[in-house]
Amino acid sequence: MSGSEQELARDLGFLEAYTIGLGTMIGAGIFVLPSIAAEAAGPAAMVSFALGGVVSLLAALSLSELATGMPKAGGSYYYVNRALGPFFGSIVGWGMWAGLTFASAFYMLGFGQYLLPLLTPHVDILAEMTGIGKTVAALGMAALLTGVNYYGVKETGDLQNVIVITLVVLIVGFLSLGLLSGPTIGEFNPEGWPAVAATVGTVYVSFIGFEVIATSAEEIKNPSRNLPLAMIAAVVTPTILYVGVMFVSTGTIPLDVLADSEVPVKIVAEDILPGFASVVPGVSPSLLAAAGGTVMILGAVLATISSANASILSAARVNFAMGRDKILVDWLNEVHDRFRTPYRAITVTGIITLVLIAVGVGIGTLAEVASFMYLVTYSLVHVAVVVLRRANPDAYDPSFRIPSVLYPVVPILGAAACLGVLVQMSTNVVPYTLATAGLSLTFPFQLTVVGTIGIVLIAFGVAWYYLYARERAPAMSLVGEAIAPETATAADSDDVYRVVVSVANPDTERDLLRKAAASAHAHDGEAEIVAVNVIEVPDQTSLAQDLTFEEERVDRQRELLAAARDVAADLDVGLRTRAIVGRDAASAVLNVVEEENADQVLLGWTGRRSRREHVLGSTIDPIVGHASCDVTLVKRGPEPDECEDVMVLVGEGPHAPVATRRAAEYVAATENASLTLVNVQPPAEDEGDAAEPVETGEALIENVIERASVTETAYETRVVVDADTEEAILEAATAYDTICVGATRESAVTQALFGSLPEQLGAELDRTVVVARGSERSPMSIRDALIKRLEG
Amino acid sequence: MPESLTGHLVVPVDDAEDAHATATALQAYAVEKVTAVHVVEKGGGSLDTIPLEQAEQRAEEAFEAFREVIPDANTELTYHTDVVEGVFEVATDREATAIAFHPRGGGRLTQFLSGDTALRLITESDRPVIALPEQPDE
Repeated sequence: MSGSEQELARDLGFLEAYTIGLGTMIGAGIFVLPSIAAEAAGPAAMVSFALGGVVSLLAALSLSELATGMPKAGGSYYYVNRALGPFFGSIVGWGMWAGLTFASAFYMLGFGQYLLPLLTPHVDILAEMTGIGKTVAALGMAALLTGVNYYGVKETGDLQNVIVITLVVLIVGFLSLGLLSGPTIGEFNPEGWPAVAATVGTVYVSFIGFEVIATSAEEIKNPSRNLPLAMIAAVVTPTILYVGVMFVSTGTIPLDVLADSEVPVKIVAEDILPGFASVVPGVSPSLLAAAGGTVMILGAVLATISSANASILSAARVNFAMGRDKILVDWLNEVHDRFRTPYRAITVTGIITLVLIAVGVGIGTLAEVASFMYLVTYSLVHVAVVVLRRANPDAYDPSFRIPSVLYPVVPILGAAACLGVLVQMSTNVVPYTLATAGLSLTFPFQLTVVGTIGIVLIAFGVAWYYLYARERAPAMSLVGEAIAPETATAADSDDVYRVVVSVANPDTERDLLRKAAASAHAHDGEAEIVAVNVIEVPDQTSLAQDLTFEEERVDRQRELLAAARDVAADLDVGLRTRAIVGRDAASAVLNVVEEENADQVLLGWTGRRSRREHVLGSTIDPIVGHASCDVTLVKRGPEPDECEDVMVLVGEGPHAPVATRRAAEYVAATENASLTLVNVQPPAEDEGDAAEPVETGEALIENVIERASVTETAYETRVVVDADTEEAILEAATAYDTICVGATRESAVTQALFGSLPEQLGAELDRTVVVARGSERSPMSIRDALIKRLEG
Repeated sequence: MPESLTGHLVVPVDDAEDAHATATALQAYAVEKVTAVHVVEKGGGSLDTIPLEQAEQRAEEAFEAFREVIPDANTELTYHTDVVEGVFEVATDREATAIAFHPRGGGRLTQFLSGDTALRLITESDRPVIALPEQPDE
């Protein structure tokens, strides 16, 4: 893949990222919430909107760091799952999904509320029936949007821009005229500050949209600059607009009228505009009012649809990310073979949205539950930033970092603010007495409806983790490392160089052991090989029971290990064997690696990528992902004739030195073997500088040799200059018997991928292919970390 | 000397199933060089229908399925707001002699909704376009 194609994948500049965020933020919030907020807190709801903006701004900073550090689909869910493990991952994953469906239902009801007066402007009877009418309109639109997204009817960036610009112009116009008409605020804070704080929770739904920018992180150009800027701008702009709309609304219309209206922005516009009739000659005040009201209705319709549409697509992203981490069945994420849409995820989200609208929980409650779920999410996002900073895994290298003066103030303050709002919105400070059979228990507060629904949804996430995800999702959490970050690089208590070899196939066994012996011989001092074979027993049967039925397999295991001992005797190296019966070969091998304090683990590999679930194989993936020592994969080619020619592919990958060391070990252990280091360079752009790529390549090779500290083995170097790197490598490789290559991708975060080039070499070359990965710290469990910490 | 029509074919593929069907249909003919192309459709300023990561994963699966049938095929992943134009761009870049594709059927409604890719491939191309025949059931 050439560089320019990669560039096209990143097609969002600052403006595009900003409008995506803004399009999602200027939604039902601005058109529907003024009446709900005015009822709850009066004009002081302006402060609620401003506080919501501040809470979001803090979250935007943390999210920017995380999103540039690991730009992966799923946004907040992905970061929390990665940093805090699948327990919190389940909570946030389900929480975000619930949040987005509740928000969609809220947007759609808002749509219904505005659409109806447009359809029935003069018919009083119809207007009386708004209760049913708006629900029907909401259901219809939700179904339509689900359909549109199911069929993937193309929405272009231009349309997105038109919608956003229209809305901004509309609202700015509303604000200017509103301010000119001279609004007068009555009693500013009739309900008191606790109500203002609780109202933050109500209006927070209008701020959840900026998350979508983090979700698109991998598509943003120059993300270190554009991503945080777009996020901050996408939070600040609507905050100002919201506060302004609230000011104009509460300053124009009596509070009780505003609170009762389902179409607050419309009635405000109708109230303001007649005042300007004298400026526009020939237009009656009533006509101006009607026009203003209609324009506002159209704006509201546009805004609610745009927000709901983005929510449905975002929900599918969360589903995809959960499926990828095995917290959710992948079934949901299948892409439609014609429409290229995740049609199942979209359908399920749509159906739940329809149910929520039909149930009739009330538009305010829908908004508050959505806010609740996102406040929970963002509080965990702040925690994730701290955990990742402290654990500092190799793959986490954010190009935007929260500035040092603001860290750790921002995440701590942000998490506290989210929790504060959560507590405020979900509890009423009214003593609550639970009395049963003579026993009475008094709580100092009682839960609100929103608090109850929110807690039930979180409990669902927790239950899901224990009943489903715990078994399947790889347990990864960096909390342990964050608690005790100074992991001493596993102080080798014994000086023995130990290679664990997983043997399963009598045909390849000999070759694997030979490679292991080569590594062992290369190390001064003591070295030994541990040969492991695992008999996998299905979950349903007990370990002992199954074995009695499967004597054949046990015999085979015995033979394999006996053969290993024979080979080891020939190779003159110490060997121990371990026969294991377990549920899962990968975790059994990982256990052995851990127990034996191994320095290298060696596995056979078919060279084929398996489909879907596993990249290199169900056993290999987890070992590559989690083993703390060097990992070597060997795909065996045909026997070399007499002398073995080994080639190392040297590139800029982090594991090239390890691959070189492995190659040198194998060469040293074989008679008549040769070692060649090959590097491929693209031709110089300037034709006259033909020597330049060769020099670059030579320098690179030299650097790798130095890092690999391969001094005792003779080697040759070769620089191939070719525009098509992959072709050139495949062609060069045909001249050698064994190809060594370093893993190209870090496995800590991308989970067990060795990288596309090694995979391709393995798949396409009829040669022995060795893929090597250096040692990596494996994530520490919380328990281990606490023990380490307490030990000082 | 006239150019061979099948000197270098650029072959659009969508998912694994489509790639497999296309490669199988192509297999019966002598072709000098084949490049399978998968275009990831971008929104160009609005949300994509599927996350980029999922789209790329899908492309990988398609290439893998294609190579299972035609092992020495080249593959190219490209990104474009318009699938058909993405295919044309690759064909131009790679100096393809022709574009070959496997029509995917589907009713009128689906063809309308998904924008009839086959029709546009044929009518808008600046080089020969070959429609591969449906294979008799294997």
